[in-house]
Amino acid sequence: MAGRGKLIAVIGDEDTCTGFLLGGVGELNKNRKPNFLVVEKDTSITEIEETFKSFLARNDIGIILINQFIAEMIRHAIDAHMQSIPAVLEIPSKEHPYDASKDSILRRAKGMFSAEDFR
Amino acid sequence: MGVSDVEEASLSLDEKLLRFMDQLELLEEKRAKLNSLIEQGWFSISKARYSMGNKQVSALQYASEIEPLVFVNSRRLENCGVEFCTERPNQERNTSSSIEDIGPKESGVRRRNKPKNDAAEKEASKDASSEKTPELNPVNESHQNPQQDPLKWFGILVPQSLKQAQSSFKQVIELSAEIATLQDAISNSRQELSLSLKNKQTAAERVGSPLGQGDKLNGSGESKQKDSGGEVPIKESL
Repeated sequence: MAGRGKLIAVIGDEDTCTGFLLGGVGELNKNRKPNFLVVEKDTSITEIEETFKSFLARNDIGIILINQFIAEMIRHAIDAHMQSIPAVLEIPSKEHPYDASKDSILRRAKGMFSAEDFR
Repeated sequence: MGVSDVEEASLSLDEKLLRFMDQLELLEEKRAKLNSLIEQGWFSISKARYSMGNKQVSALQYASEIEPLVFVNSRRLENCGVEFCTERPNQERNTSSSIEDIGPKESGVRRRNKPKNDAAEKEASKDASSEKTPELNPVNESHQNPQQDPLKWFGILVPQSLKQAQSSFKQVIELSAEIATLQDAISNSRQELSLSLKNKQTAAERVGSPLGQGDKLNGSGESKQKDSGGEVPIKESL
């Protein structure tokens, strides 16, 4: 499987994961490690963070999709990730609509604009 | 000479800023589309759950073997950016055999009651079957292996709304690759922008005191640094 592309990983609530898995992104590899994490009410932040870091460390993952409310829980880990591969995409969730002001990428972009710079 | 340097730097800065703004606008547009598609997908899943039962369409029903049906290819562009594009390796096959074949895979009539006395015929049929097997095997493999459609995890006769959910999430996946490309382009433009901003500042400093304007720029710059001490390290880190 050398020539195949990279995978899309998902960290999200049940419906988000189900939807993306229906779309065909899911994989269980030889070690039975999935490329998705269904976050339930009792999933701990440590578990989420560890999974996120393990996805970052895997070299067969190209994009990580994560619900924004989960991204908020591990914001420091997301902010620390600066590489372009894997790309981290924050997506809305059922209970929490997407808020651009929380998005790491847009916050970085916004951070560089101060009125004095462009006089 | 010095002034033209500053002008040049300003022009390139303007150009980059405009490009950056265009990219942000495009990102916002795509984000809005992505959000509405995801919403549509959830709505369809909920509708499917409503018609199938409360406990249906849940994480418990995922298959024990899951094979990916979609991949992303990343490609480095000349300007150091990365482009992501999705790929569905067996989409063609799926579309060509969209009508499911139910029943025996072998074509023709099968002889179940073979006459025992006809040894020669038996031999011939053996030969034929041994010849046939290598032909049949790949077909069978391609039919069994085709990473099962995830729709089947939730039942054989799934409601139309679940199929709609699948199609909207497929679109979301494609769109998310585009957004990932755009996000990368935006962070690159941001770096370029901060670099040219620095260039402009050094050019302005070089022009220095002979120009009144330069003086003003320098002076205001210093006071700015004092005022917003916290701002500088952030920019550095960018």
